[in-house]
Amino acid sequence: MTRKQRRLTLIGSAGAVLAVALMLILIALRSEIVFFQSPTEITQNGVAPGQRIRLGGLVEEGSVVRSDNAEVRFRVTDTANTVAVTYKGILPDLFREGQGVVTEGVVGSDGVFVADSVLAKHDENYIPKEVAEALKAQGHWQGEEGQSN
Amino acid sequence: MIVEFGHYALVLAFALTLVQSVLPIWGALQKDDRLMAVAPPVSVMLFVLILLSFIVLTGAYLNSDFSVLNVVENSHSAKPLLYKFTGVWGNHEGSMLLWVLILVFFGALVGVFGGNLPADLRAVTLSVQAWVSAGFILFLLATSNPFTRIVNPPLEGADLNPILQDIGLAIHPPLLYVGYVGFSITFSFAVAALILGRIDAAWARWVRPWTLLAWCFLTLGIAMGSYWAYYELGWGGWWFWDPVENASFMPWLAGTALLHSAIVMEKREALKVWTVLLAIFTFSLSLLGTFLVRSGVLTSVHAFATDPARGVFILGLLCIFIGGSLSLYAWRAPMLKQGGLFAPISREGGLVLNNLFLTAACAAVFVGTLYPLVLDAVTGEKISVGAPFFNLTFGPLMVPLLLAVPFGPVLSWKRADLGAACQRLYAAFGLALLLTLVTYWAWGMDKVLAPLGVGLAVWVMAGAISEIVTRVKFFEIGFKRGFARLVGLPGSAWGAAIAHFGIGLTVLGIVTASAFQEERVLTMRPGDTVELAGYQMTFEGAAPRRGPNYTEEVGHFSIRQGGALVAELDPSKRIYTARQMPTTEAGIYTTGFSQVYLSLGEGRGDGAVDVRVYFKPLITLIWIGCVIMSLGAVFSIADRRLRVGAPKPARKRQQSMAAAE
Amino acid sequence: MVFWILIALLTGAATLSVLIPLSRSRRGQEAAPARADEAVYREQLAAIDKELERGLIDAEAAEAARTEIARRLLAAHDRVGAAKQGGVRTGRLKLAQGLTLLALPVLAFGLYIALGSPGLPDQPLLSRLNAPAEEQSVDLLVARVERHLAENPEDGQGWAVIAPVYMSLGQPQASAKAYSNAIRILGPRQAWLTDMGEALTIANQGLVTAEARAAFEQAVSLEPSAVKPRFFLALALGQEGRKEEAIAAWQALLQGADETAAWVGAARQEMARLTGEAPAGDTLSGPSQEEVAAAGEMTAEDRQAMISNMVAGLAERLSTEGGSAEEWNRLIRAYMVLGKKQDAEQALAAALSAYADKPEDLSMIKDAASKLGLSDG
Repeated sequence: MTRKQRRLTLIGSAGAVLAVALMLILIALRSEIVFFQSPTEITQNGVAPGQRIRLGGLVEEGSVVRSDNAEVRFRVTDTANTVAVTYKGILPDLFREGQGVVTEGVVGSDGVFVADSVLAKHDENYIPKEVAEALKAQGHWQGEEGQSN
Repeated sequence: MIVEFGHYALVLAFALTLVQSVLPIWGALQKDDRLMAVAPPVSVMLFVLILLSFIVLTGAYLNSDFSVLNVVENSHSAKPLLYKFTGVWGNHEGSMLLWVLILVFFGALVGVFGGNLPADLRAVTLSVQAWVSAGFILFLLATSNPFTRIVNPPLEGADLNPILQDIGLAIHPPLLYVGYVGFSITFSFAVAALILGRIDAAWARWVRPWTLLAWCFLTLGIAMGSYWAYYELGWGGWWFWDPVENASFMPWLAGTALLHSAIVMEKREALKVWTVLLAIFTFSLSLLGTFLVRSGVLTSVHAFATDPARGVFILGLLCIFIGGSLSLYAWRAPMLKQGGLFAPISREGGLVLNNLFLTAACAAVFVGTLYPLVLDAVTGEKISVGAPFFNLTFGPLMVPLLLAVPFGPVLSWKRADLGAACQRLYAAFGLALLLTLVTYWAWGMDKVLAPLGVGLAVWVMAGAISEIVTRVKFFEIGFKRGFARLVGLPGSAWGAAIAHFGIGLTVLGIVTASAFQEERVLTMRPGDTVELAGYQMTFEGAAPRRGPNYTEEVGHFSIRQGGALVAELDPSKRIYTARQMPTTEAGIYTTGFSQVYLSLGEGRGDGAVDVRVYFKPLITLIWIGCVIMSLGAVFSIADRRLRVGAPKPARKRQQSMAAAE
Repeated sequence: MVFWILIALLTGAATLSVLIPLSRSRRGQEAAPARADEAVYREQLAAIDKELERGLIDAEAAEAARTEIARRLLAAHDRVGAAKQGGVRTGRLKLAQGLTLLALPVLAFGLYIALGSPGLPDQPLLSRLNAPAEEQSVDLLVARVERHLAENPEDGQGWAVIAPVYMSLGQPQASAKAYSNAIRILGPRQAWLTDMGEALTIANQGLVTAEARAAFEQAVSLEPSAVKPRFFLALALGQEGRKEEAIAAWQALLQGADETAAWVGAARQEMARLTGEAPAGDTLSGPSQEEVAAAGEMTAEDRQAMISNMVAGLAERLSTEGGSAEEWNRLIRAYMVLGKKQDAEQALAAALSAYADKPEDLSMIKDAASKLGLSDG
């Protein structure tokens, strides 16, 4: 092989690998990302059954019902609309009524959101940012009040 | 008074970094030995000063000196001594001081052990390191001063975030920082080389031990962080593709690529331009990680109190260092001469392949981490990029890389014979195939990919072993002479084999723990038993207990296998009194390399609790593999050839020459 | 002073770390840079030989590698020749020395004065707690006892010591808790029970709660002649609306009392109010700022009277003029604390009908009521 050919092979293989990587990234960005939605967005726009979304808001006061087999039902609200959620598993330490929460899962055919993961804030000063902004958009955000306990 | 002394030491260190930023590089450009000679002693002095202020801050924590704001905000007099100590870096200000401490520590290391470096390279490297240090000390003083005082001190502090009150915090951040920040010295070497215009094989040799050192600690730090999250967060997961984790993982990927491309540069003077760029990128990714974590762009347990001024300041530093070094690179790199030639099938070719896949993978992680932030900033749309994205992008890029790993060391430089290389790997391939089939036989066809993953891991491990075995030619020259050759193998060869074996182990752990994990979530009452993976777990009841600064509800479980009691686990739910914050403490039973993992949910008041039980086969291999990888780095660093090149005293030089022969 | 000396020493050390290498002669060490490369390349050559000997590479490859390294070696060698020493220029040296001597201390001192708090001593918690008592603030003393009690929660005497201190610091709740601990550990005593009852009463804005009443009753049973608990019990009767019994209690208390005692005036006033001789509470609105402030300085008894007046005034105003949901809640709560459940229920019913068309207020009232143990049915 000549010097030029060698360099071409090198550049060619580099280009091929990068092209594959780029393709993978693009495919993944199309299919594997999860959109964040507030209860209002879900109620107004609807969600195709089976599409994964992240639902965020406040856990409605008095809505948490635990049943056997570690199943729990609760409602997530952005104060304008609420969405019912079911989840089977251990809730995070900081899951509380009236506090911010982000759940990920799909909307079932009955309109109930079936979550397979529930994230609550990491510590008492943290309300998920998406939740805070969604609440602000609803005009129900009361500044610092929601951030401190 | 002592606190103020520490504060002064920090301020003085800042002034001294300014001196260090100017004199040595000026000396190097003017070829003035005296000015260059300033660099090593000052680098040590800088370390002493920062160490002083760090010790003083630690003292304030240990004594609960609540006249220091930082102590008030993050400590509590009832906190156990260990956590008073580790609390020093469990907050923004303290951890940035640790950051700076490690920055100057690496400078001092080069000052003390850099005797084998050319004086001008050492002087400029230390000057560049001082630029970075000056930037970060200024950041501390201007926006995050840990020595801010309170005239009327309160009597009690706010305590440390309970999640951070764990032995993991004692180990994870320092290890991670040594790795993260350690790449700063590689960066300084790269910038110095660009300034001096001398980028050659010898440069790669000089940089390698420092890169290895940083990489070694970064590997340990990431592994430790992963294990910590695994047992402290109580979710049973060990890697979440959380942006903060990615922030430490990206420098690791780039650093790994750098280690490999530096080998090509050292041996063949090829890939010079690329290696220098990687050195700059690696530290830039460390800086980017620091920015993401500290600016409040990301919200997580790592984002301590956030403050927009800090974000802007770090962003400024980021732009100056990354922008400046890349501009310098764009200006100087075209002047570099082409290096040695090589055929596509050769050791160099293999290492290029490694670099390609590692950087592509790093780019995928980069996109996945930053895309949501960019999208939010541009369109306001909120998305989350989680494990599925990374499984689809990162995973496929790793598979060909792992397939190629065993080939690398057996290929020869310049031009290699692929057939001969394959011959040396027959045994490894056979073993991998065998274990794949065994796994299919044991678990059936319902998990198609997992046995292939097992096979891949075995292939990497067996490849590493067979590399060593064929190198010493055990089968041809007999055991005794073979053993002598084994001992005589250079440290770097051992290091490569050990690190490759380690990555195989980690892959094996990942595959088995993900594919063959068993999980149950259920509500248990005292006396209930759940069966999982051949273990019978009985909930014996729960009882309250008091810790030094928390109260907890402890569930008592007994684990039986075939009727015989093998372990008792006490997972618990804690409430830390000062912050009224709950945490989950998982109960873990390790058997062989596998683990039974038990975590409690909230109690239901009537004695019943929600319980999550996992059986995670071979999961500890994930972290053991990482430890072995860093062990490989230690072997490589120990390679005495890395210390060759001591120029100054004639006597010393002869010694090193003798050692080399 | 020691501090400034230490700082000066540190600055001196830092300055010397720059000046000493600057002033040391470096002759005889030139050309070092290229030598360092040479050493590396020579070692690489040696490594080739070793690999050849081990059979890791063939002779041809070894030869090629050798040529390559030899080329680098030569280039490095050339550089030795090319590298000219800049030499020591005294002007430059002087400039560097001068800059360091001047800039380093000035910058460090200046920045420190701007950022630091040089006069402020260290204040480790332990030495603050162990300082002689007369130098300590009350807060510190309390913290000291609290730490002691945290470690020895069964020290009843300690609880008894800190309880009145809490009272004087305006923390009646903590005081009551401390008394109850002392009583639990060391057994009931009249004085402690009485003080605990008083603390509970003050914590509830002067209303004698059931818990406080129990304490006073126990105190009286221990020492029937004690005045203070009987005083509070009489007050409680008045608050509960048991007018006759209350008047009887006050009379019994005043019989044979030392007319100069401080409480006698208050007792007479209370009795007069009950018998309708003094002008009864005629405040129509809630207490004014000044009245509240005054209440802070009143004796418990005076405060009690003021609160009774206020409740009566509030009830009247709400029934005639109406008021906010907040005010209704206050009234209901006050009745409950006074033990007048019937009145509370009546007030709740009135409030619910007043806000029947305002769901938000209605739910607030209901919530508050259910927290007090009232049903809205």
